[in-house]
Amino acid sequence: MKRVLLGALGAIALTATAAVAEYPEKEIQGIIQWGAGGSTDTVMRSVTPHAEEALGGTIVMQNMTGAVGAIALNHVAGSDADGYTLLMGAENPMLYKIMGLGEKDYTAFTPISILARGTPMLVANNDAPFDTYSEMMDYIKANPGTVRFGSTGPGGLPSVITAMIETVEGGLDVIAVPYDGDGPALTGLQGGAIDVMPAVLGAAIEGIRAGNMKPLAVFDTAASDKLPDVPAVVDANDGYNTYLPWGPFFGVFVPKGTPEDVVAKLSAAYAEGAKNPEFIELMEGRGFTLMGISGDEAEAFLSKWQQGTAWLLQDAGLTKMSPEEFGIARPGE
Amino acid sequence: MGSLMDFLTVFTQPQLLALVGVGTFAGVYVGAIPGLSVTMAVSILISFTFSWDVYPAISLMIGIYMGGVYGGSRTAILLNIPGAPSAIATALDGYPMAKRGEAGTAIGVTTVMSFIGGFIGIGVLALAAPMVSDFALRFQPRDYMLLAILGILLVGSLSQGSLVKGIFAGALGIAIGAVGRDPLTFTERFTFDLQLMEGGISFIAVMIGMFGVSEALLQLHHVDKAAVRQKISRVVPSIATVKKHLPLSVQTSTIGVVIGALPGTGGDIAALMAYDHAKRVTKDPERPFGEGAMEGLVAPETANNAAVGGAFIPMMTLGIPGDAVTAIMIGALFIHGLNPGPMLMIDKPDMFWFIVGCLVMANFFMLLFGLTGIRLFTKIVEMPRSVLIPLIMLLSIVGAYAVNNSVSDVYWMLGFGVFGYFMRHYGYPLGPVILGVILSRLLDDNWRRAIITEREDLGLFFKGVFASPLSTVLLVAVILIFVSQTPIWARAKAKLLNRKERVQ
Amino acid sequence: MQHLDPDHHDGTSDATPGGERDKRRPGELLFAMALTGASLFLLFDAWGIENAFGPNGLSSPRAIPLAATAAMLISALLVTVKTLRLPLDRTETVMKDILPVTVILFAALLIAYGVLLRPLGFLPTSALFLIVAIKVLARRGWFWTIGISLGSLVVIWLIFRIVFSVLMPSGVVPEAEFIQFFRNLTAGGGA
Repeated sequence: MKRVLLGALGAIALTATAAVAEYPEKEIQGIIQWGAGGSTDTVMRSVTPHAEEALGGTIVMQNMTGAVGAIALNHVAGSDADGYTLLMGAENPMLYKIMGLGEKDYTAFTPISILARGTPMLVANNDAPFDTYSEMMDYIKANPGTVRFGSTGPGGLPSVITAMIETVEGGLDVIAVPYDGDGPALTGLQGGAIDVMPAVLGAAIEGIRAGNMKPLAVFDTAASDKLPDVPAVVDANDGYNTYLPWGPFFGVFVPKGTPEDVVAKLSAAYAEGAKNPEFIELMEGRGFTLMGISGDEAEAFLSKWQQGTAWLLQDAGLTKMSPEEFGIARPGE
Repeated sequence: MGSLMDFLTVFTQPQLLALVGVGTFAGVYVGAIPGLSVTMAVSILISFTFSWDVYPAISLMIGIYMGGVYGGSRTAILLNIPGAPSAIATALDGYPMAKRGEAGTAIGVTTVMSFIGGFIGIGVLALAAPMVSDFALRFQPRDYMLLAILGILLVGSLSQGSLVKGIFAGALGIAIGAVGRDPLTFTERFTFDLQLMEGGISFIAVMIGMFGVSEALLQLHHVDKAAVRQKISRVVPSIATVKKHLPLSVQTSTIGVVIGALPGTGGDIAALMAYDHAKRVTKDPERPFGEGAMEGLVAPETANNAAVGGAFIPMMTLGIPGDAVTAIMIGALFIHGLNPGPMLMIDKPDMFWFIVGCLVMANFFMLLFGLTGIRLFTKIVEMPRSVLIPLIMLLSIVGAYAVNNSVSDVYWMLGFGVFGYFMRHYGYPLGPVILGVILSRLLDDNWRRAIITEREDLGLFFKGVFASPLSTVLLVAVILIFVSQTPIWARAKAKLLNRKERVQ
Repeated sequence: MQHLDPDHHDGTSDATPGGERDKRRPGELLFAMALTGASLFLLFDAWGIENAFGPNGLSSPRAIPLAATAAMLISALLVTVKTLRLPLDRTETVMKDILPVTVILFAALLIAYGVLLRPLGFLPTSALFLIVAIKVLARRGWFWTIGISLGSLVVIWLIFRIVFSVLMPSGVVPEAEFIQFFRNLTAGGGA
């Protein structure tokens, strides 16, 4: 009896799906890869309501944390490719393979929108015995193994920046103190637990404005208009031009195989949402560079990002497995 | 003068006042249901209040926060199932009172004490925020580590049966906290190469299983026993009672504010530390601790509500969250076009005073709703057990799932429920397990940070400890508490006292 | 010594041992030995934790797990030895005091719930669970049982699903379509 009833319910569901072809016909799940209150969470929660308006549907956002975001990635990758489950994530999955964190990355997904890119910078504790990037490098050379750098684990922004410094300057003998995010690390920096922290500009800007930490250099090809007094790192060493601009990014993804019209609808909705003036103001205030790209452009950006970063880390000896094993080509090859 | 006006904003606008009230009311129920957390409620409110102005949005969130921290005590007292981690210590003495039919008194005392604790927290926030945040910033990784060890020593006061069993439970908790990918190096720990284990075990799932499901399973032993009739005539505690506990509540509130203000520690640890403190300083409680001592209710409840004000201190002065809820509020301010950070107090001082005003209001609403809705709540315990037990189990399941939207958390919760059932039968305390899980990361991460900073040199590490007055004080506290818990100390004390008596 | 409760044990409070203080409860020794074995196994597993990106010294991710599992093993051994010395409580039996039939039945129900949750979905699984559980415990009429079960399930579903948007596995029930239907209805009515 029960089985008949359930079967009938199922049949109704199926006919309902067939009859109403208009996407979205039910609410969409948005899985946020990081915890509530983090920067990915904030960005997604501020753009999605605008995208919902453009889409004419409901997107229910949920945080799914754990294993550096791999739990959320695997969850969405394993769900139906029907456009009802979105992954809202940051750049980390591009490095999962070479860090031995998982077998999947964004190549298993279709990008809906790469929303924005952050700019990295170096900040130091106010009492640190150097005030500029060059002074810092001189100090480290004179006092090897004493300066404490904050880090956020293998593959995190600080590890990429330190790898970049090592490649360009040749050797960086510092102590890397691990934190579980740039927020706690910047707190540690202000309390004097670490001396230097490579962080995204948006996370450090308020602390700099208040004079609680001092900026050393912006890791970009030009100074940021948010902090015009802070020199770009290429001014000190133009060897960085090879690797910059580089930065962490935020994006919305669906599993590969999602129908094209659904992808198009979602991309259009997020493109529209990202144009909202409130959202633009919010992102620019935090020093993010808006991108709003999708489709082939986004795919090209992702693969270029992955190649550059993966080989940078590989050459600095920070990876667990070589990018070659996963067919990630060296940039320029 | 301007700040006074900002402070009064919330009192003069009926709409904001109503939102704080609604928030507090909802918060009490959110907090009371195990698995529905304030963190969850506030993060949902971010999307919900997206199009609102910032003032109404913040009013609602603060109400939920204040009410939720308090609400956790309700189910702890009535069902022995803490609605939130910060109410674990409340269950230790609150539930024995409910078993005597004194749930009304227990809830009354809890409410008034939460109110007092809340006010002390808000007072410190309003008057001394910059000072406290300077102090909190001074905590180095090694100080956090010593604080974690201090916390682990609480196992002694949470183990009512056997201390050895308590130590086992505490160590088990620390091991449970280490499961999954280590957040610092991404190394797999205790995962047995299973993908299911990589995300670790949610400590809320452990808590719900150990306290919720195992309690429900135990209750099956006496399904047919009639529920205890609760006297709810004398809910508001007498002035004398409040006066008697005032000195203790000031002390435990201070613990709450400081622990709440430290980034990375919150109301849960504060409440447990306060409970331990009460046990230490209360010379002769009317009833022994663990059997319904009033002090055992006063301490954790003042501390966890004082921690609310404390958590806002680093948030308002530095833009650093004091706990998970303030972390989300920082995100909310950001979305509403403000720049939370150290400049917020200078750029927008009105925001600071408005938040203080909302907190004061929420605290009053908490007192009001806390003292009025008791009859309805006590009806829950008087429900027939044959309905109550299955419902507790179902709520535990949904609650465990809701934490991280994961079915594996449900499996963990059920597993720990059955395991906790056996632990209860054989006299292993459950409190230390949760304590271990809460402190695991604090201990592990900061120990490693501290020792990496000293390049793995223990000599340098101790040199660092003694070079800093703060670390030295913490180390001395750790040693004193440790010694006072070991039998050698008790024996030495007995000897000393004997000798004195003979001399006289 | 004092008997904690005339009904064999009270056991409802955290850490209050049931049974008599100076006697060993049935199964207690087995439990202590199982914990010792598990601790030993976990200690070995902790030893095997390798730091992929650095040295395995004091600062390695292995340090604290190793210390914790070692403490578990030592304390479990102490408990086992202590328990071994206590005389067995002959007034208690496993079937009556530790694992009565109802408890086993409920443990089985919970396991069944866990297994069915994903394929069947939250609503049907919970409805079945509540109906069976309340029927067994209350032994009242079907009408009453089903009414109470479905009534409380709807309340729980409304709170978690609608207010807190916790998306429990929907299984065979087309929950999302159902909600969208109502959403369209209210939106249509409002416009």
